[in-house]
Parts: sequence; C-alpha cells; structure tokens
Amino acid sequence: MASQDGLTPPLLRVDGLSVAYGPNEVVRDVGFELGRGKSLALIGESGSGKSTIARAVLRLLPPQGRATGKIAFRGQEVLSLPERRFRPLRGKAIGFVPQDPGNALNPVRTIGAQAEEAAALLDERDPRIRRALILDTFAQVGLDNPQRVYDSYPHQLSGGMLQRVLIGLAVLPRPALLVADEPTSALDVTIQKRILDLLSRLRQDLDISLLLITHDLAIAAERTDAILVLKGGEVQEAGPTAAVFAAPASAYARKLHADVPALNPDRYAVLRDPGFARLKTAAPKIEVAGVTKTFAVDGRSLTAVDNVSFAVPAGTTHALVGESGSGKTTTIRLLLGLDQPDTGGITVAGAKLEGRAPTSLREAWRHLQLVYQNPFTSLDPTWKVESLIREPLDRFRIGTPRERADRVREALANVGLGEHLLSRKPSALSGGQRQRVAIARALVLKPDVIVLDEPTSALDVSVQADIVGVLLDLQATLGLTYVFVSHDLALVRQLAHSVSVMHRGRIVEHGPVDEIFDRPREAYTRTLLDAIPAGLSSRPTARTVTRIAAEELA
Amino acid sequence: MQGAYLNYAAKRLLQAVVVVLLTYVFTFVVVSILPGDPVTNVLRDPQNGFTEAEIAQIVAAQGLDKPIPVQLWNSLSGFLTGDLGVSLRSSRPVSDMIAEVLPSTLRLAGAAIAVALVLAMAIAYGARFLPHRYGGAALRALPSLFLSVPSFVIGLLLIHIFGFQLGLFMVIDPDSFWATFFAAVALGIPISAQIAEVLMANLDHEASQDYADVARARGLRQSRLFFRHLLKPSSLPVVTVIALMVGEVLGNTLITETVFGRTGVGSLIQRSVVTQDLPVLQAIVSLAALVFVVINLIADLIYPLLDPRVKLVGAAPRRVTTADELSGKVSA
Repeated sequence: MASQDGLTPPLLRVDGLSVAYGPNEVVRDVGFELGRGKSLALIGESGSGKSTIARAVLRLLPPQGRATGKIAFRGQEVLSLPERRFRPLRGKAIGFVPQDPGNALNPVRTIGAQAEEAAALLDERDPRIRRALILDTFAQVGLDNPQRVYDSYPHQLSGGMLQRVLIGLAVLPRPALLVADEPTSALDVTIQKRILDLLSRLRQDLDISLLLITHDLAIAAERTDAILVLKGGEVQEAGPTAAVFAAPASAYARKLHADVPALNPDRYAVLRDPGFARLKTAAPKIEVAGVTKTFAVDGRSLTAVDNVSFAVPAGTTHALVGESGSGKTTTIRLLLGLDQPDTGGITVAGAKLEGRAPTSLREAWRHLQLVYQNPFTSLDPTWKVESLIREPLDRFRIGTPRERADRVREALANVGLGEHLLSRKPSALSGGQRQRVAIARALVLKPDVIVLDEPTSALDVSVQADIVGVLLDLQATLGLTYVFVSHDLALVRQLAHSVSVMHRGRIVEHGPVDEIFDRPREAYTRTLLDAIPAGLSSRPTARTVTRIAAEELA
Repeated sequence: MQGAYLNYAAKRLLQAVVVVLLTYVFTFVVVSILPGDPVTNVLRDPQNGFTEAEIAQIVAAQGLDKPIPVQLWNSLSGFLTGDLGVSLRSSRPVSDMIAEVLPSTLRLAGAAIAVALVLAMAIAYGARFLPHRYGGAALRALPSLFLSVPSFVIGLLLIHIFGFQLGLFMVIDPDSFWATFFAAVALGIPISAQIAEVLMANLDHEASQDYADVARARGLRQSRLFFRHLLKPSSLPVVTVIALMVGEVLGNTLITETVFGRTGVGSLIQRSVVTQDLPVLQAIVSLAALVFVVINLIADLIYPLLDPRVKLVGAAPRRVTTADELSGKVSA
C-alpha cells in the first residue's frame, strides 16, 4: 500500500484519524493509504466507524462530530483547511456515491437540474456542451434513455437507475477519488452486480481511485486491491485483499469471513433439519393453487401475482426468491390473508383462507405468523418487551394472566433471550435482540407456520448468523413450517428445503433447493445465482469488465 | 395525471361550494333562533323614530313576516345572485357598505401576509446559517416570543415608537404608506411566527436527508444548498399553513384596525355587532367563510402542481416516494 515511487505522495493518506461525537469516540487512531488508480475497502459491521471515516474524508461529518489526526489528499492536509478552501475539492476532486439511492436526490427537482450542478464543476462555459456531457455520462453508466432520465423526477426511476444516475453525477466532473458508501446495499443482488461492474469499469476507464465502504467481505474481496477491517472504530487488520481474504490474521476478520453464507457453503446447511424426505412424504401444510392478484395502477391493470402455485410440506422451509417487484411480497400478503386473491385458492393447515370474513381470518392467524424484515420498525418503541410478546395472547384471549406470563417467558427462552430483558424497551436492545423479540412474538401463539419476510436483511452478517441459528433450531425442536422470502440466494441454499424462483409475478422454476441451484433450467435463475458475490474466485479482470448490457427495464 | 387532476379539482370545488352554502345556512339559523327579536328591537329603538306603520312596512318589504324557511330561501338566493340585503340601520345596500371598506382591509391583510412570509424566511435562514456568535441559534426562540405577545401590544408599541417618537407616520392619517406598513407588521408578526416554526422544522428535516449531504459532496455552497435544494421541499407545507392562517388574519384585522384607527371590514363588523345590524353581519360572516374556503381551495389545487411526488387518489392527494411504490414494479 506504499506510494508508487516513494517521491509523489499517495492520493489519500489518513494518519491517526479519530472522530468523536461529544465524549463518544467512534473512530480511534485509524490510518491507511490509497494510491492513484487503486482501490481500498473499509469493511466492518454497523458501528464499526466505516461510514464515519468516509464522511471525515469528505468533511461531511454532522456539526457535533470532531475529527482529529491527519487526512492528506494529494499531499495537502485537508482537516485543517477552512471550509471555503476545502469546498472546491468536493465533487471536482473527490466524488461521493451514497448508500441509499432512493433518498440521495432531491425529490422535488428534476434529475437534470441536479446533474447541471455536477456539470457546473467542469470548466465548460457553453451550456449546450455541458448538457451533452451530462447525457453522454448517463449513456456511459448504462442508462437507456438519457434525455428521459434528464427530464425525470427521482421518484419516477427505480433504485438501480437512481444509483446509476448518482454514479454518473459523481464521475462527471472527473474526480481523482471516488468515495462509495455501501453503494449497493439497498439494491437487488442482480442490480448490485451490475452497479459493481459499472464502478470497476469506470475506475479503469477514467483512472479513478476508489474508497469502497461495505459490510460485505465477498464484495470487498471481489472488487478491491486492499482491505481495512474495522470493528468498534479500530483497525483490526489491514493488507492486500488476497492476503487478508485467504488468511485472515485477526479473530474478528476470521469470524467475519466465516459468517458470510456465500463464502461458506456449509456454515448453516449443517444446522438445517435434514427433512428433505418430508418433501415427498409429509402432507402439505400450505397449499397455494393458481393464485392471481391484479392491482389497478394509474388506470392500467398490473398483475402482481400471476397463476402462482406451490405446496409446503409440514416441517420444511420453502423459499421465495426473486428481485424487487417479482411478486414475493404480494404472494405472502395473500398467504397471510392481508389481501384477497382474484382467483385461486390458499389452504393453510387444512383450512381454506381465501374468501373468508375478517373475523374467521383471526382464527387462521393463530396458526400463521409473520416475522417482518426490519426489527427497527416492526416493534412499537413505546412498549416493553413483555407487552410486545404478550400482545398476541391478549388479542386472542388465551389463558389466565399467569399462563400468559409463563408463555411469554417460554417464547423468550426459545429464542435464547434472558428474562432480564422483559422490562426493556426496543431502543435498549440491539438489532439481533430485536429480531429475536419479533420471533418470540410470532412463536407465543404456538403457530404451525411462520412467514419470514427477509428476516435478516436489515442485520449485520454476524447477527444474521445468530438469527439463522435460532430459526433453524426452532424448526428442529418445534417442527415449524417456514415460508422464507429472501434475495440472498447463498443463504436460501443453506436454509431452505424447497424453493420457488419468482420473476414478474410468475414462478419460473420450483423444486428442491439443491436441484434448482445446482442445475437451474431457467436463464433467470442462473442470472440470480451468478450475481452472488463469491469473493476472490469471481474477481473480474480488466478484460472481463466489458461494457455492461443495458439494465433490463420492466 | 391530467385526467386525475381535473377529476380531483372538480371534487374539491364541489366540496368547497357545499361548505360555503352550509356556512350560510348555519349562520342564518343561529341568528333566527337567537332569543328576542333583534330586528324589531332595532326598528323600535326610539332613536330611529319609526312609527308602527313604518315598521310594519319595512318588515313586509324585507320579507321578515314570512316563515323562516321562506326567509332563508330568499336570503340565500339573494346571496347567490350578489344581493346581500339592506342594512337595518342605514337602509343602504349591504354590498355597497362592504365594497367601501373592503379595499383597505385587503391591502392590510395582503401586506401582513407578505411581511409574515419575508420575516419567516429570514428567521428560518438565519437560524440555519448564521454563525452562533451572530445569534443564529437565538433566532430559534424568536417565534415563541412573537406568539406570546398579542398583536395589539405590538401595534401599540409600533405606534408609540414609529408614530410618536420617530414621527414616521401620523396617527390621524391611517391610510398613509407607513401607517399601513406598521399595521401590517403588527398583524404579520404573530403569523410569521407560525410560518417560521413550520419552515424551520421542515428545513431541519430536509437538511438531515441524504440528498442534502450528497448535494454538498457535489461542491454546493450553503446558500445554494438552501435556495436550490432545501427551500422548495420545506416550503410546500407552508402553502397549507398560510391557507389555514387566513382565518386568523381576518380575525386579527378587526383588532389591528381598531388599534390603528383604520376604517375597514373590522370596524364595520364592530359597528354592526353593537347596533345589531343583522343583514350586515350575516353578509360578512358568509363572505369570510367564502374567502377562507376559496383560499384553502386554491392551496389544495396548487399543491399537487408544486410537488411532483403527489399522486391523486379520488379527492385526496397522497405522496409517493419511489417508482416501485408508484407501480408496484420497477418502471423505466
């Protein structure tokens, strides 16, 4: 990671950087170097300080944040520069690609108006040429119809397209350094691959250095020259990617590596109930037959779920996979009875679900519970853990107060939480603890079926390991039937027994998970599987990073 | 969008008409069932010196001897055709009396809202960007102070300082430029406080959004960030607030006009209440309702045009934030 010739300073050099919010030090004594045209990944889980470091480099820390130490850009110390002298570097020399594209553009101004701000950083006086450069850049980042994108408002584009726009705006003024803060964590896995390919290609074409912030070790390994592993604001390990990835020296880096499903094909599979035989023998717990649901949008009708059928034998896990908009969410809403299908039938535990009055649906819900993807929004922050878990028992008037309290404790023990948490509120719990509480709440009614809607997608990878362990353990001991919705195919492969691949409202392929994933018949399934970042083995070389195909637009 | 908007506009217009008509009927009924008979009380007032025969003649001419529903019908159809009846005191057409005082009040109210807007914007901008040592943070306390001082106190202070001490305007000439200006300031200050509160809260919210940081990372300076990015999304809710504020402006005009000795709708109301001149009161209350409804209608009609995210569903606008939400599917 030393500078190329020892004479010219590296493009970016960080030395003894510490960042504190009041008395709270969130980054401690971090140092690294990034050479011209090189790439470096800052990797760590939430709270590791990786985004804070990125913001310190851009000097975009919130007002109460104080950075000390040294950050040298092209040999010039930037932390001590007055804002007036640092501002010209922003955009023009240091570009920024944010995490959540859906929130990174002003919602009430057109994309074009915001692109003009980036174009204004070029030394081009003619507005027509500036405009042409913008449209050129949009085409370069793989946007099909640049003029239309220019005239659109952000809400009219999909997340993948917005991230292309943002990358385009960041590279338009030809910066020397691009800081990308989890640029793909809000996107589908196939779109993630295309965006990462795009970043790799632009980096080579335009000779831009990349500081990539990510929580995904596989992505870091696939895309960068060097890695810096962070935990709790401190560097755990640093070095060339190949070395860190192949033989992590620190315990934390080893654990990080071991918990990524894509890198460890057997990490969770050994915990799965070996109930594949049930796929053929057991009676189906859930039967969905020929279900169709159409919504009216702007006068047009949109078939969200099109003739979908699947059956889940008792005690097994069925996974629904596919990209956003493929109909996964509508399917589980129909399964839960939250929406009524237009045609088709749904049977859960022998009871028909469709066409029921809301009152008799309540009966079905005793056997059918949901664990929502984001435990940070699914638990009422003003309630105590005990009330949260007891609520379903109160609603269904089950047992005496004493029995209810016992069942709450039992459910809590089932998910491996101590009773001392009963009087806490969600804000005093970690993400993993919250999701355990959500699972306990689903368990307390002793249901047969639990619908898991991306139960780990909002959580860190080590917490995910934890939650997956709890879920598999519960299935083995209680014989639960799961419907598992996910876009993480590496996790599905280890967790599910059978799988349905959804695309544009249809099930394009279904069957036992090994069969489908080892020998996919459909091109779409192959695309999904290819998009899983696999670390060093799938590292793109200069030659394979060719112009990407235009994003498939539905 | 086009068809949906016309559909929405038609529904909102219909709702507005219904509200105005109901207000008219409501005021009429309330006045009719009040104990005592204000009409005959007024006419029998010895100061007026009407004979019984004359009173009977006036009552017959105004249709006051007819049953209440018939009176309501006559009065309502008159209101709809622009005939607001005749004052019991001066026997002049009510519409003439209102037309006389309306321009002065409209000038005052319009100036007050303009003052309020400028002041609110200055407070919000200062609170956001003025460095601490120039009192940036202290500005945040200003709206609460403005709200806790009644506008007539502010009015009296302004008259004392700028009228008597500095001699900028003559109290006996209330329609001069400076007199109108300071009346508008007195009226506008409490209004500005409420707008500033909303604006500051929204600015804080918008400034904490990712797009504000991303725009700064694009090299934008603070003033550009404020005017090009933050101001528009933050002021959208202000449109609604101003529309709701119109009722308060109308109410406070009454006090401000009295304090500054102006002739206006406020003083007309005051006179009519004291003299129990019912046709005038009925007309003013109905017109006030009309103004309130029309302003709110305008606010509702322009809101969807200002905010591209608003999607019209029936008579209610709804905000969408992503393309996926708009179509349930990734759209091109």
